[in-house]
Amino acid sequence: MLLPKFQYYAPENLREACEMLAGLKEKARPLAGGTDLLVNMKQGSLSPRYVVSLSKLKELKGLGVKDKLFHIGPCVTAAELAESSRVKHDFAALSMGAENLGSPLIRNLATIGGNLMSARPAADLPPSLIAYGAKVVLKNKGGQRSVDLKEFFKGPGQTVAGPDEILSQIQLENPPPYSGAGYVKLGKRKALEISLVNVAAFIALERPNGAIRDARIVLGSVAPVPMRAESAEKALKGEKPGESLFAKVSQAAAKECKPIDDFRGSASYRRAMVAVLTKRALNMAFDEARERELRRWK
Amino acid sequence: MKTLISLIINDKEYEVAVEPNRTLSDLIRYDLGLTGTKKGCEMGECGSCTVILDGKPVNSCLVLAVQADGRYVKTVEGLETEEGLHPLQDAFIRHGAIQCGFCTSGMLLSAKNLLENNANPDETEIRRAISGNLCRCTGYQKIVEAIDSVSGRTEKMGGKS
Repeated sequence: MLLPKFQYYAPENLREACEMLAGLKEKARPLAGGTDLLVNMKQGSLSPRYVVSLSKLKELKGLGVKDKLFHIGPCVTAAELAESSRVKHDFAALSMGAENLGSPLIRNLATIGGNLMSARPAADLPPSLIAYGAKVVLKNKGGQRSVDLKEFFKGPGQTVAGPDEILSQIQLENPPPYSGAGYVKLGKRKALEISLVNVAAFIALERPNGAIRDARIVLGSVAPVPMRAESAEKALKGEKPGESLFAKVSQAAAKECKPIDDFRGSASYRRAMVAVLTKRALNMAFDEARERELRRWK
Repeated sequence: MKTLISLIINDKEYEVAVEPNRTLSDLIRYDLGLTGTKKGCEMGECGSCTVILDGKPVNSCLVLAVQADGRYVKTVEGLETEEGLHPLQDAFIRHGAIQCGFCTSGMLLSAKNLLENNANPDETEIRRAISGNLCRCTGYQKIVEAIDSVSGRTEKMGGKS
């Protein structure tokens, strides 16, 4: 299977890449891990005249704390994300998403930035990132802007990023005390699977054993973009966490989602599974919130 | 327009002029004649094109040849040494883990990478490590057994890639 012809550029730094995209605009596509872009090009759904490789851009690599925020470079691979002990410790739900993305071979190529920019409704990383309240930085020749990730996706394959903008940073706030998160993916097999439904949940308690202060539930694969289950979130706030509350809230999430029928599963099955997965993700989040509290005293 | 790239494959340096739309798998097979690397789906699903790129197994159908400039590649041809077959190759034969052979090179490279990072994997870890490599003949059981038989013997596996 041949790739269509294109011209290839590999700029040396982010500034040079931004200048390049400012000139080429829609005719160019940035290349990160290539696991989506090259497949789309082989299938003929995309045929950019220019491919701009981001592989030499050191600014887009690495992860760590800067200015009290946890920064993830968009060219960090899913494998690097899954292996990071810091991510596992502080952002377990994101780590789980990365661990289950594609296959080991894909994880060594695919990047977190690519997973966001591809904007697939069933992508593994957006639900957890939105649940953690992630922000992304978009950079172009003229400057940069910060966008809340929950406002980032516009539709399947579509984001707010302009053709001249490069995703240059993913930022997460450190999880607040007494908080936890969970991520559950449902597929028919364990590897190389596109989720039928995936759910991420985040809760923060007012104090140990206290009521829920803040909650975010993000549903994937059941709408054109990952969606917040806002009525479910509202029903959690101010309440004492527990099995019966989670069961009630999960039903609210199922009511709220907008799944479609397709060859992977029917809308009614997806809706039923949203309830099951939301409950599981909330339980995971609650477990982690309690564990995190115990760890503080050790 | 062709670009001149140089890369090291199985410890040998190559300098080749490639079109930007050449994939690494096509470069390896058609330009360099190393046909041990197979091409199956060409979409990153089947793993038959697996190579080890800078120490990490990847689908070479999803890497551009120009992206491999200046990097180290290990293909299945690089497993055998003067002393003979790699212990994994030997185990695959002994356990009947090869039928049509199409997935074998990818399986071997994913397994080699696993054992270099985890000398004593359990069955789940083995199955997870080869989960990007599809086999339509063996039902995986014999492949898992072959890999398991070599685990714990990394000292005999030769150098790192």
